[in-house]
Amino acid sequence: MWLYEADGFAEIFKGYLPYYLLVALPIFIIMSPVNPVAASHEFSVYRMQQYDLHTVPHGCRSASFNLEGRSLTSWSTSRHCVVARVQDITIDQFMEIRSKAGALLLVLPKNDTVLSSEEKEHIQLLEMAMIQQEVSAPVYFAQWTPEYETILQDLQHSFITDDKSGTALEAIFNSVSSNGYQIVVSAPTPQKIESKPVTLHGKLVGRSGSSQTIVIAAHYDSSGVAPELSSGADSNASGAVAVLELARVFSRLYAGGSGGAGRGAPSLLFVLTATGHSLNYFSIKKWLEEQLDSADASLLQDVSFAMCLDSISSSDQLTMHVSKPPKAGGASHSIKERLRAPVNHKKINLADETLAWHHERFSIRRVTAFTLSTLQSHKDPSRSSVLDTYSEESLKNLVSNIGVIARALASHIYNLTDEASDEDWALYDQALGIEETSVKHWFKYLASQSRAPQVVTTGIPPTSGVTAALERALSRYMDVTVSVHSVDKREPEYTLYSPTRAVLYVYSVKPAVFDLILTVAIVAYLSILYFAMQYFPRFYEEYAKIVTGKAKVH
Amino acid sequence: MTLYHFGNCLALVYAPYHMAYKFSGVNEYASFSKCVYAGGLYIFTQLCKMLLLATFFPDSDNLNTTGEYNVILEILKATVDFADLVGLYFALNSVPGKGHAKILTAAIGWASAEAVVTLCVPLWVGARGSEFSWRYVRWCAGAGAALVRLAARAALVWLAARHDLARALRAPVAALLLAAPYRALLLRAVAALLSLPQEHIARVALHGAHTAAVALAALAMYAIQTQQNAY
Repeated sequence: MWLYEADGFAEIFKGYLPYYLLVALPIFIIMSPVNPVAASHEFSVYRMQQYDLHTVPHGCRSASFNLEGRSLTSWSTSRHCVVARVQDITIDQFMEIRSKAGALLLVLPKNDTVLSSEEKEHIQLLEMAMIQQEVSAPVYFAQWTPEYETILQDLQHSFITDDKSGTALEAIFNSVSSNGYQIVVSAPTPQKIESKPVTLHGKLVGRSGSSQTIVIAAHYDSSGVAPELSSGADSNASGAVAVLELARVFSRLYAGGSGGAGRGAPSLLFVLTATGHSLNYFSIKKWLEEQLDSADASLLQDVSFAMCLDSISSSDQLTMHVSKPPKAGGASHSIKERLRAPVNHKKINLADETLAWHHERFSIRRVTAFTLSTLQSHKDPSRSSVLDTYSEESLKNLVSNIGVIARALASHIYNLTDEASDEDWALYDQALGIEETSVKHWFKYLASQSRAPQVVTTGIPPTSGVTAALERALSRYMDVTVSVHSVDKREPEYTLYSPTRAVLYVYSVKPAVFDLILTVAIVAYLSILYFAMQYFPRFYEEYAKIVTGKAKVH
Repeated sequence: MTLYHFGNCLALVYAPYHMAYKFSGVNEYASFSKCVYAGGLYIFTQLCKMLLLATFFPDSDNLNTTGEYNVILEILKATVDFADLVGLYFALNSVPGKGHAKILTAAIGWASAEAVVTLCVPLWVGARGSEFSWRYVRWCAGAGAALVRLAARAALVWLAARHDLARALRAPVAALLLAAPYRALLLRAVAALLSLPQEHIARVALHGAHTAAVALAALAMYAIQTQQNAY
């Protein structure tokens, strides 16, 4: 009996099956899609920052991976991709992942969750820690979606981990019921991208006879742990918006009055630069070199002071950062008095990797300069954070700060003293009116998109995107000159790398043991089927007897 | 998943057919070529149906953009499936031999062709792809049920084609045959009435129960008919 059965089973595999396969398999292989990607989840993800500053590497050095997804607690080897919420991961955990895990996928907080200030601070510190060194594993960031929530929960609650299940039966049950995820990103290997930062400057000419110049400068790029996600509202959309608004206000003042009566004595030079603190203020450095070292250094011949605006929307209290305490009687002291801002004195430290504030570039070139900022320290992690986004409150601070700066600047230019009558002030306030709608429009526009160096300095032509928009805006008030800088070929001051974004595929998979269990189940099913077929005649006889009520006669 | 998973799925689909062919005794009566002939008839019937659908029915892909479910159109479309019964009838006629041999040969040939044509490509693309889904395993297990269902249907067609069909059987045979093309529609309606969720195990159970009921009914009628012939 058993021998016959064995024969029967063997027949299946001996008979036609090999011939079927011989014909079918080549056809299948021909028909097989080249890219069998039909994932149920497909997301766009943003790669972590990657750049070299003075040939020191920073950020993530690779892009592609194809690994099994694991949660923060269950990953163990470099064959795992850790998936976590950005607020859940600690800096120590990141350091461990950096050295051992295969890849890291961090999901940003849901947009409408209001993070507590501790969580915010934690994320900002994490960002700083991440960017300080290089990371060899690919690191990606993703915007929150409901699908991520399910994946994260599945990963947290799955017991695929081999050591956690108690009994073998439990392990088998878990392997059938749990969902695993295979996470795939196929992106080109990181490559250097050509970066051509620009500096825009425009001049409002003062009264003839005076050659004094006041420089008002801000950088308009943003920095964050992922280039595509850094919208940089405070740092430094606020400064750029302030420069635009001041340009608008003073262009009206300088043009007003009959025969240029409203024109102040000093010329005003408005400067917008494309790279800021993340790339060591490269643009302004190059621009200063060009302007000061060229044969006709007329533009910056007699600078009374340079005022840099950096992150001026986080509160309504401005701080004046200087490298040299302002001398009494000097122009910058006059501004300080008029602003009533506390002074923060910090010497330039050339040994640091990056300069602290924008004005230090001017100070190095012996130009009197200071930076106005609402931040107390240049080390504030909010300057390079993806959490730096537009908010109504920051807009309010920005408008009030621009007002304060405009008033101080105007009273310096027209040499008003505190004793001026209220009537005079009212007149000035009317003329200095800050247009809140235009500030809001520009602030929102700049903060609505990524302005990372990888984005704003790599456009073709160099003035495209945000740069072109800023150029057009500034050229409504004055003639704008665009200077395009380039990094040194042999010893690049900085190098940027692409890609900044990629497509991530998530496949739900089962562990390998699941297939074995499935095979066992199929074999059992086929055996039952086999016996059912063997006993079918007997079943039929009985069944026919019941149905017809008679014994079958053959 | 892996090629191994694909192999699992293939075994789940095709092994029951092979076993049915080997162990039902069909191979003693009719040759393999008759099965192939039935399969060929299946493909020919599907082509005819497609021609009919393409000629007389509006393009459902463009029409159904609103997501509305047009019941009349669906019923008319299902009516075209009567061509399957005609095809089965020809398949039965081409097989010599006794009743049950005719029925099994036609059913196995027909069902295998259906399984090859409808399942091979989706399985190759789906079950071998990186993504795991229970859907493919369910399809494969469903192929076994399809064989039973087709055998029942072939038995009904065979009964209906008999001149000496017992008077008592005429009504039920006709009713079951008339309902056969609308099977999918009816089951969907029942599932909607019971508000079963999509892709749920209860739907699978519903299909299974329906198949078992039809098969047992057809078997009973076949038994009564052959019993009557014996006298």
